[in-house]
Amino acid sequence: MKRTRLQSLILYGVVVLTCAFLLFPVYWLIVTALSTSAELSRLPPSFWPEAPQWGTFAKVFAERPIPLWLLNSTLAALGSVSLSMVVSVLAGYSLSRFSVRGGHSLGLFILTAKMLPATLLVIPLFGIFRQVGLIGSLWSLVIAHATLIIPFTTWMLKGYFDTIPRELEQSAMVDGCSPLSAMVRVILPISTPGLAATALYAFVLSWSDYAYARTFLTNQQGSWTANLGITTMKGEYVTDWNEVSAAAIFIAVPIIVIYLFLERYLVGGLTAGAEK
Amino acid sequence: MANISIQNVYKNYGSLNVLKEFSLEIEDGEFVVLVGPSGCGKSTMLKILAGLEPASGGRIFIGGREMTDLAPGDRDIAMVFQNYALYPHLTVAENIGFGLKMRKVAKKEIATRIKDAAKILAIENLLQRRPKELSGGQRQRVALGRAIVREPQAFLMDEPLSNLDAKLRVHMRAEISALHQRLGVTTIYVTHDQIEAMTMADRVVIMKDGVIQQIADPDTLFRKPANLFVAGFMGSPGMNFVSARQVDGKAEVELLGQAVPVDADPGKLSGAASSKGLIAGIRPEYIKLGDGPLRFEVKPTLVESLGSEQYVYFSADEHAVPAEFRADDENRKGLIARVQNAAHLGVGEAVTLSLDPARIHLFDAASGKALN
Repeated sequence: MKRTRLQSLILYGVVVLTCAFLLFPVYWLIVTALSTSAELSRLPPSFWPEAPQWGTFAKVFAERPIPLWLLNSTLAALGSVSLSMVVSVLAGYSLSRFSVRGGHSLGLFILTAKMLPATLLVIPLFGIFRQVGLIGSLWSLVIAHATLIIPFTTWMLKGYFDTIPRELEQSAMVDGCSPLSAMVRVILPISTPGLAATALYAFVLSWSDYAYARTFLTNQQGSWTANLGITTMKGEYVTDWNEVSAAAIFIAVPIIVIYLFLERYLVGGLTAGAEK
Repeated sequence: MANISIQNVYKNYGSLNVLKEFSLEIEDGEFVVLVGPSGCGKSTMLKILAGLEPASGGRIFIGGREMTDLAPGDRDIAMVFQNYALYPHLTVAENIGFGLKMRKVAKKEIATRIKDAAKILAIENLLQRRPKELSGGQRQRVALGRAIVREPQAFLMDEPLSNLDAKLRVHMRAEISALHQRLGVTTIYVTHDQIEAMTMADRVVIMKDGVIQQIADPDTLFRKPANLFVAGFMGSPGMNFVSARQVDGKAEVELLGQAVPVDADPGKLSGAASSKGLIAGIRPEYIKLGDGPLRFEVKPTLVESLGSEQYVYFSADEHAVPAEFRADDENRKGLIARVQNAAHLGVGEAVTLSLDPARIHLFDAASGKALN
């Protein structure tokens, strides 16, 4: 169908407005980071600082252990993503392929874990982690994040595996594979887009956590994750919003880089089910 | 290569009995086609044979070795699937060699065998491509290549041609037959297409509702169908059915006002239940234009020309085939004659047709069994 000029204009107009709406907070984050405290409290606000304060970034970097926080966040995210992916690949594949009595109900039951708010689970988890001595350790986050991630990723992967014809494994089994090696040699390689999308989702979920980190990590700032670190920059009487914003930009960059790297898999992975 | 023996295999899904007491002896090098409507259990039987589904009971032997509980990979069979099931992440060469690699055949040997298989199927120029870059026919060839490269004891084919367009299907049909003749590997082929069954098979197994209806070579199947279902299923258009009755221990058909005696086995005839009566079957191709041993005049209600032939529809006292023996869902009105396209036939214009009474089939309406 060919669009008229007016239709194209409206379409592009809507796209530009949507993008502007979505990107405005990001833009405002950058403006805040580059402004002085005085500029930030001025009304009406200015949409670009008179003299951008690039030094704020250096100051924040020097005063706070940002690399350490990023490292902690990364370790917690990588740990929980790895754990979640191993569990949910096996669980999702089983739910997709094997019909067990009560399998469907079991699958739905897994989802109910996701329906409970994280703040509700934080108390029993704290109790458990204290008993096994994990409080203050990043392992507590790895495990706690995995409990949040696994229900969703299991269902995402089940949906993805459902779109792969069973004949592929059957063919592999006739060719001499065991059910497990058919999954490893045939199903997983062709599921890369789905696995990438799921892993990124899991990574973001872990990266953006605050409640668990606040509860399970100790008061030593060396053990904090990036999100937890930023919130401590808020002072009791004075908050340097430009510094908080600069730190927030440091913390957002890794996710953006990962997203750009995985983007080509991601689009395929998220739409694979819809195409068939 | 090997003979295959299937002994009393059955399959239940809960209370649903999809395959009932299936027994079949297949000789070494034979091409056997399992044919029947959807849901008749033919694909289930093939999957059980491949080891992809467990049987609820019964035993399977391939080459004299019991296979009933072996994993698919240990049965030394190769399978071709309807949707080809090519591995999308591997090249054509890797697809073909996958089974050999899993069996830890030496790399050099794998390369030689891939080359040989590709040569047989004329796909040598495609070896480095991926499945998505191939046409339907080419994919089918790669799927066949994956099967033949293993030199298995038997080929199992599950409707391998149904995803191809009509012209290519005819072509690949001939190719598979030629391949079978060249390699001589025992082949079990599942299809719902009776033309594939008739043209390719040494023997055809017709199934319905999980039960074997008849096992015979294609000609016998056509000429001497064992029951009403087989008679209606084989042939296109399907057989015409009209009412018949017993008169003094002999069978007689009332056809357009003429009482026609029909040869029947007297023993079987006397055993036929009289409650539902008899059904006579007449193949559309046995009705001819012009004079013959039994002639009748009809006014066609519809004439369809296929170029070389014409289908002439005319109304007569039809006998409805009991639902349990019906081969298709269509509710036909009137009879069909399939005649050479010799003259212009007009709807409503009288035309003389004839028939050899010796070619009329007779069935027991209650049991569906053939009586002659």
